Amino acid sequence: MNASSHTPSVTEEAQKQTMKHSCEHHAECMKIIQSILDDEATEAEKDHFRENMDKCLPCIEAYRLEKCIKESLSLKLVKKPCPQSIMDTILSKVNS
Amino acid sequence: MSVAMSESITTNEYTDDLRYEVFNREFMPHIDSMYNFAFRLTMDEDDANDLVQDTYLKAFRFISSFEQGTNAKAWLFRILKNSFINDYRKKSKEPSKVDYQEVETTYNSEEASDTTYTVDLRADAVQELIGDEVANALNALPVDFRTVIILCDIEGFTYEEMAKILDIPIGTVRSRLHRARNLLKEKLKSYASSMGYDS
Repeated sequence: MNASSHTPSVTEEAQKQTMKHSCEHHAECMKIIQSILDDEATEAEKDHFRENMDKCLPCIEAYRLEKCIKESLSLKLVKKPCPQSIMDTILSKVNS
Repeated sequence: MSVAMSESITTNEYTDDLRYEVFNREFMPHIDSMYNFAFRLTMDEDDANDLVQDTYLKAFRFISSFEQGTNAKAWLFRILKNSFINDYRKKSKEPSKVDYQEVETTYNSEEASDTTYTVDLRADAVQELIGDEVANALNALPVDFRTVIILCDIEGFTYEEMAKILDIPIGTVRSRLHRARNLLKEKLKSYASSMGYDS
């Protein structure tokens, strides 16, 4: 592999320098991340998210983690069908 | 007992035919979601069966307080959750009464909720976990915290619907979810560590 491919480009370097490695209002950001992922964010929260989320490393990582947990809960958990016998009992009691 | 979603109970005129029609059309399609909710609350198959059956029979008995065109799923979930609290929680096999109070005290203080709370867990590690591990982590949470996660992340209810189902203000939904997710991350972290996914 060409060694030069590992050398970060000028723009990547510039991006790294502007990227925040600690977040001074992370607790507040976590609440916004939750609202965004739950589709419950206010316009102000959406604005804050759009303006800041690509500049702050802890927030980007937190967003990825929260999103991944939310998706795991909705996609990985086994959903059991209600046993037919329960449905039959309910319908027979309702109809009696 | 009130099972209406709103404070003012509106009683609707239902003919017998309409009662059956509404029951079959509006209520029965949610039975699998209801069964899974019951199972995740009680963590016992027999209790889940009884809870679903009781809930549907109550829903039929009180059908005149269900307003057609409103959210039947939220209405049913609210009845199920109330039945669980009234009839099943007492005999629940969950040994976490003491732990639960401890957790509530810790997490209800403003300080705890405002502290920057970071669990050292990576998204990649969560991605490696299988469904059973995620389910076990969820089941390890005290029931009130488990409930908000089930309603939001598994069943996709809005905060407003959750507030009605749980009889709590939206602000409390928001903060309870936040706390529940922090607790869940701790549980997931211990699974990820034990599986060696975080190394």
